[in-house]
Amino acid sequence: MQSANTLLKKIIRSSVLPFAAHNGMTKDFFPLRRALSLSLCMKQDNSQSPSEKIDLDGWKKVMKSGLQEVSETVSQHKELSTLAGARELLEMWRLAGRSVPENITEEQLKGFIECPSKSAQKKYLKFLYLKELYKKKDKRKMIEKREKRLEAQEQDSKPDETKKNSFICFWANSMDKTYNWRVAQSMIFGQPLVFDMSYEKDMSIREVANTVRQLVLSEGFNRRSVDPFHIHFCNLKEDSLYQKEFIKHYKEAWGRLLVTATDQCYTEVFPKDKLIYLTADSPKVMKTFDHDKIYIIGSMVDRSIKTGISLARAKRLGLETAALPLEKYLLWSSGAKNLTLDQMMHILLTLKDTGDWKKALEFVPKRKYTGFVNKPVHELKKTLNLINTLKLGRRQEEIRKQFAKSYSKKLTQE
Amino acid sequence: IQPPEKPLQAEEWNRLRESFSSPEIFEEVMLNSMVRYNSPLDVAKSLLTHVAKSHGDIAYSLLVKYLALCVQQGKTSEIHDVYDIMKTRYKVLESGAYNLLIRGLSNSDQWRMAFTLLEEVKKIMIPSRGNYESCIKAASRHREMNLAFDLYREMLDKDLVPTLDVLQAFFDYSRGMKGAELQKELFGILFYLRDNQIYPHKTFMRSIKLWFESIPGENWRGHLTTIKDSGQCPVCNHQLEDSNLTEEDYNNLRERIIRDVIHGTDTFRKTSPQEFEAFQTFVENRLPFDIVIDGLNVSHMKPRQTQCENLFNAVNCLAKGNTRLLVLGRKHMLTNSSNWRKELMKEMQDKADFFFAENISEDDTFLLYATLQSGKHCKFVTRDFLRDHKACLSDSVTRHLFRKWQRGHQIAFYSSEEGNHINFLPALCYDCVVQTTGDTWHIPYKNNFEEKYSYQVPRKWLCIQQK
Repeated sequence: MQSANTLLKKIIRSSVLPFAAHNGMTKDFFPLRRALSLSLCMKQDNSQSPSEKIDLDGWKKVMKSGLQEVSETVSQHKELSTLAGARELLEMWRLAGRSVPENITEEQLKGFIECPSKSAQKKYLKFLYLKELYKKKDKRKMIEKREKRLEAQEQDSKPDETKKNSFICFWANSMDKTYNWRVAQSMIFGQPLVFDMSYEKDMSIREVANTVRQLVLSEGFNRRSVDPFHIHFCNLKEDSLYQKEFIKHYKEAWGRLLVTATDQCYTEVFPKDKLIYLTADSPKVMKTFDHDKIYIIGSMVDRSIKTGISLARAKRLGLETAALPLEKYLLWSSGAKNLTLDQMMHILLTLKDTGDWKKALEFVPKRKYTGFVNKPVHELKKTLNLINTLKLGRRQEEIRKQFAKSYSKKLTQE
Repeated sequence: IQPPEKPLQAEEWNRLRESFSSPEIFEEVMLNSMVRYNSPLDVAKSLLTHVAKSHGDIAYSLLVKYLALCVQQGKTSEIHDVYDIMKTRYKVLESGAYNLLIRGLSNSDQWRMAFTLLEEVKKIMIPSRGNYESCIKAASRHREMNLAFDLYREMLDKDLVPTLDVLQAFFDYSRGMKGAELQKELFGILFYLRDNQIYPHKTFMRSIKLWFESIPGENWRGHLTTIKDSGQCPVCNHQLEDSNLTEEDYNNLRERIIRDVIHGTDTFRKTSPQEFEAFQTFVENRLPFDIVIDGLNVSHMKPRQTQCENLFNAVNCLAKGNTRLLVLGRKHMLTNSSNWRKELMKEMQDKADFFFAENISEDDTFLLYATLQSGKHCKFVTRDFLRDHKACLSDSVTRHLFRKWQRGHQIAFYSSEEGNHINFLPALCYDCVVQTTGDTWHIPYKNNFEEKYSYQVPRKWLCIQQK
């Protein structure tokens, strides 16, 4: 009886009643009350059951309480500019759990508004979101590293016992000097390698940015190689997007870079018969690396694969073309045959040093092929032919069997 | 995880939460599975109460999920409450919540509220076609056809493609209603189907039929039928529109093909200016052709025969009387090899004109050019669906023209299992679109759930005539 009394008190105290009355929701309220009284009876029968009834609409009260001032401020700035409106909307998307960056700059917001479709907006936001995520992750790692380093320093802060070393310590600075010396030499005596910078109009802004990133990587690999190429950026116009991105990456080092950047076309710089345009669409397959030729690579990232653009360029200029012998050496599994610019650089550098296709094609991403062709191609063809003749042979046997069957049928009929 | 069947106490939720592998997303996961299992609302409420009491606030994403549950169960008053709470909390809502609110409210007796919400959405973004669909359906369900059609036009203005469901709703809810204005609007929908070459499915077709037959005092009768190859309707003996393009459309299409497909951004991508010019003079000197054949495509017809024999058979089949044939190929066909024997090539060249493109050029583009240049009577033979060429055309109007022209001019073929016989499927001589003569309507339709490729046309028709 005592427990029933406390229960009743609780019901009266509970917020269901005033809340429901306040909202005038009699419809919803009645079944609830019925449920309450029912559970009351049950409680009296069975005293072991949980003693408290849940206030089901309590959350609404919590959500509505103390919000008066918020709603007032809302009504104050009703008219929002498009930018502010978009920012508002993004914030709501973020709250709803979509892939939206937490912080967004004015410029990015404009980019978002200018997206031509809803799916383009979604993609752009996801890109920004992931970018932000990686940045945060890197920052966190850096902080962790620093802490660890400090810890380590504290631990071995023994009396400074200078380590005696007979070798001179090679600092990054002196390494750079050696590299630069080599590249400078290649600029006088080295084999030219041309990057064709004339695809800006075929790419989106993001693709141009990716292209330049790959070019920066390529230049880095080249600089550190034993026998670097003399890199030419041909058709590179002043104030082009390419140029702007380059400056973004290299800053003031862009002017000191040991490469030849020119707005001239390669056909004006080099004799035409020495040029070979490397493109995956070429019908001709490269057999050996020729040290006397000048290879051209199109500086293009095409996410939506635009077949035949670079081949068309070579056709227009009447240049020889070549494709890497990917099919010949690799059992291709999936992915497009166009490789990134830094992969091309690795492959060409290796070819130049060793002439070994197998070594060079190690730089093709592993996900794109299942393995190297271990036998020469003509031998593979031979086994293929053998399989085919076996298949055909079996078919012939089947025909013979069928003939025998019908023949015996004929015999029995007669 | 399976949601509980009855509302739980705070400590019970706590216990569940702690036993869950990643407690920080416990509420999200739990509400998601409540939506999936369609749990009673009280269970979700008890969870929300628990969250509100322990955090003093409920995250927006949780509110949206709860809203989804309410919409799923059609609890209008709850939807209202959640909307009120959201409105006081946030300046604007996002598309997910609006979608749910509009869907939920449009199905209730407070459907007009959905319209005010739609206006709110318009302020921050373009509403989705789903939003429009909900509102249009609600309006037409309550026989507010004018309102529904206003929204429909607005939707088309915004380049949103209405679902077949919406279009069907118009016919369903207009049944038995009189009014010249309404009739005009519904005919407008039929013309929309015609212009965009959309084929209604069977249930939609039935709605159209019933609507026609329900118009008071007009005496329409509908019959299901299949059209003969000649293009005559067996029910009303009416001859269907032929598949020829008008002079203007034809010239338009030809120009667009040359501009977009052959030249595109760069003539060198598919051919070269010299080669194209050479081809143009070649064609001009020999016009007009009756049939243009894609030599390489035809030569792959039967894998057991050499390519040369295949092409030879096809040319022999098609060269009857004095039909003028043009075979397009590539230069490699001229080098004597096991696949391409010189004698057979010689023999064929007596029966048909041949043009050999460079090995790295695309011969399909030449096929289109030669056929269009020869005139309206000229047909072409290939098994290719020409989808990539259609995709090169920049606007949908020209793409529809291209499809129409293709239906009327492409001869497809297949080889019979035994023997050397090749079967050619003649091009359709009538056009497969919704069409009318004023007192008759002919509407092609497809079966429900039927997989239909874009190049296929339905064979079944609805014939409606006024007695």
